[in-house]
Amino acid sequence: MSTHEVFTDRLQAGVLLLPTMVVSLLFLYYPTVRAIGLSFYQASLARGDVFVGLENYRRLAGSTEYLRSVLLSVLFATCVVVGVMAVALCVSFLIHEIEVGKGLYLVAVIWPYALPPAVAGLVFLFIAHPNIGIFTSYIEALGIDVNWFSNGPQAFVVVLIAAVWKQIGYNVIFMTAALGNVPESLTETAELDGVSRTQRLLRVYVPIISPTLVFLVIMNTIYGFFGTFAMVDLMTKGGPAGATNILIYDLYRTAFQFYEFGFASAKSVVLFVAVGLLMYGQFRLSDRYAYYGG
Amino acid sequence: MTDVTLQNVRKEFDGVVAVKNIDLQIPDGAFVTVVGPSGCGKSTTLRLIAGLERATDGTIQMGNEDVTAVEPKDRDVAMVFQNYALYPHMTARRNITFGMKSAGDFSDEEIDRQVREATAVLDIDDLLDRKPGELSGGERQRVALGRALVRDPEVFLMDEPLSNLDAKLRIKMRAELAKLHSEFETTTIYVTHDQTEALTLGDRVVVMNDGRIQQVDSPQRLYDYPETRFVAEFIGDPAMNMLAVDISSDGTEYEAVGPTFRIPLPEGDGLETVAGGQALLGVRPESLSVADSADRSSFAAEVTVTEPLGDSLLLECRTGDQEFKLHAEPRTAVEPGDRVALTVETERLHLFDPQTGAAIYHAAAAQPPEETGPIDSTL
Repeated sequence: MSTHEVFTDRLQAGVLLLPTMVVSLLFLYYPTVRAIGLSFYQASLARGDVFVGLENYRRLAGSTEYLRSVLLSVLFATCVVVGVMAVALCVSFLIHEIEVGKGLYLVAVIWPYALPPAVAGLVFLFIAHPNIGIFTSYIEALGIDVNWFSNGPQAFVVVLIAAVWKQIGYNVIFMTAALGNVPESLTETAELDGVSRTQRLLRVYVPIISPTLVFLVIMNTIYGFFGTFAMVDLMTKGGPAGATNILIYDLYRTAFQFYEFGFASAKSVVLFVAVGLLMYGQFRLSDRYAYYGG
Repeated sequence: MTDVTLQNVRKEFDGVVAVKNIDLQIPDGAFVTVVGPSGCGKSTTLRLIAGLERATDGTIQMGNEDVTAVEPKDRDVAMVFQNYALYPHMTARRNITFGMKSAGDFSDEEIDRQVREATAVLDIDDLLDRKPGELSGGERQRVALGRALVRDPEVFLMDEPLSNLDAKLRIKMRAELAKLHSEFETTTIYVTHDQTEALTLGDRVVVMNDGRIQQVDSPQRLYDYPETRFVAEFIGDPAMNMLAVDISSDGTEYEAVGPTFRIPLPEGDGLETVAGGQALLGVRPESLSVADSADRSSFAAEVTVTEPLGDSLLLECRTGDQEFKLHAEPRTAVEPGDRVALTVETERLHLFDPQTGAAIYHAAAAQPPEETGPIDSTL
C-alpha cells in the first residue's frame, strides 16, 4: 500500500485527529468496554456491583422469553430488510423511468425519512389507531378488525409497516442515485433488443447496482435491529403480550424499567455480537455475488 | 435488409433544434457514413432512426413501412455504441445472447448457431466466457458487434463505434467493418466525426452541420466537388485554404486576384456570374507546391511554420495578410522566414460565395461528372 504523507509534521496530524479521537473514545469505545465489563456483574444503583462471572449469560441462555425476543427480532429485521428493499426498488425504478415530475415524486417519497423516528411513530399511531385512526375505517371496510392494541400479530404488522415506511426514503435516495449511474446506452441497448421492463430491472439494473444494494442490506439490517426502538416504544411498548418485544426494546426495559444493568449489558453484548456476525456474513456473501466492476 | 427514408425530419429538444428538417434516402444494402462536427445532429439523426428519440416532425420509413411512431424493439435495428454498451456483469456470450433470449423470438438452437457464426467471423470464440472487464477495448467492440450481428437486423446503426480505440486498432477495425459489410450486405448507417472513417467506409457520405445535411455524395466527389464552403473545409486534412479574391475578367479569360497574386482560372461554369465580384478561392494544401522558377501563376509567400510529416513537409505560409497551408515535397530546404515562390495546380481550384458559402465554381468541373448517386438530399 502506498502512503501519501499529507502532513510533514506528525504532531500537527495528531492534534487535528484529537477531537475525533476524544469523542470516539469517550462516547463510543469507553461505553462499549464498560458495557462488556458490566455484563459480568450484577449491577444495580442501590446495592453496588457484584461480580457474577458468566451468570448473566447463563440466565440468558436459559430464558425462553429471551429466545422468543431473539427470534422475534430476527423475523422483524428480515421483514424490514426485505420489505423496505422490495418497495424501495419498485419506487426507485418508477421514479427512474418517469420523465416528468421526477423531483416531486422523489421529495414525496423521501420525506418520511426526514422525520425523527419518534414523530414517525406518532404519525403512524394516528394513521392506524384502532379507534381514531384516519385509515382505520377504510381498513375495517375491507373486513379486517383493527385491534392491534390487543392483537399481537396485528401489532407486529403495524409496527413493521411503520418501520418500512420510515426507511423507504433512505433507500430510494441511494437506489435512484445508483440507477442514475447506469449508463444510458445499456438501457437503450436493452430497449432495442426488446428486453421488457421487468427483465431490464432484474437482469440489468439490479446486478449493476448490487454494490449499493449490499450497502443498503447492511444499513437496513442495522435499522431493523436498532433503529426501530422509538416506534415500538411509542406504538406498542413491546406488547401486546411481547408480540413486538424486539431485542433493542427488551434490553431497554431490562435496564431502565427493571434496573438490571448487568443483565441488560449482557443482552446488549449478545445483540452486538449477533448483528456483527450477521454483517460479516453479509459482506462475505456480497463479495461473491455483488458486481464491483473490473 | 431494407432501405431507410427520412422525410422532412425535425427534432427539437426543449426549443433547441438538433435536426432541421432533413431528407435522406438510404438504399437497401448501402454503407452510409454520416460525418460532421460535434453537435451537428448526426447522432440525433441516428437515434431517430433507431427510435430512441421521437421525431418532432417528419416521417421515417423502413422499406414500405412508416416507423416514425414504432417502438425501437419493433424496428428490427441493431445499434453499436461508442462505449460498447456491454452489460458489465455478463460474460461475452451472455451479452451476445441476452437480447435474443429476452425478446423470445429465437429458438435455442438458432441462437447457438447464430452465436457460432458471428463469433467465428469476429474471431472472438475464445473470449466468450470472459466478462467485459477482462477484455481489451478492441475485444469489447467485437463482442458488441457480435451482439448486433447475431440478431441479423434489417439495419445496423453505429454511433462512433471506433472512437474509443487507439489509432492502430481503429484502422484495423475499420478494415474489418468494411469486410463485414461486404459479407453481410446489411444496410449500415455509421456516424462518426472522423472524416477518414467516413470517407474510407462509406459508399455514400452524408456531411452534416448545424442540424442540416450539407451534401450527400461518394467520398471522392465530396472531396473534388464540395457543394459548400463547410464541406470543403471539413473534408480534407489540413483543411482547404480559403483566400479572399476578386474575380477579374477580360471577357475570355478569368483570374483570381489577391493583393499579392493573380491566379488564372480555367474556363468553367459559374465564372461569368462572379466576374467582377468577390469570392473565396479554395485551394487544397496539396494543390500548392514550391516552385523552382516563377511563372505566370506563381506567387511569393513567406514561410511561417514548417512541420515535417515524413512523407511530406507541411508549410504554413503568409502572403499579404492571408495565411494558408501547403504540402511541399519532403526534405525541401526551407526555414521559417524564407520567401518562396509557389505554384498552383489550377485544375483543382474552387470558388465559394463569401456570404452564403455555396460553391460557385469548380475548376475540375470540365471533367465528365460521376454517376448521380442513388442517394438524394435536399438542403
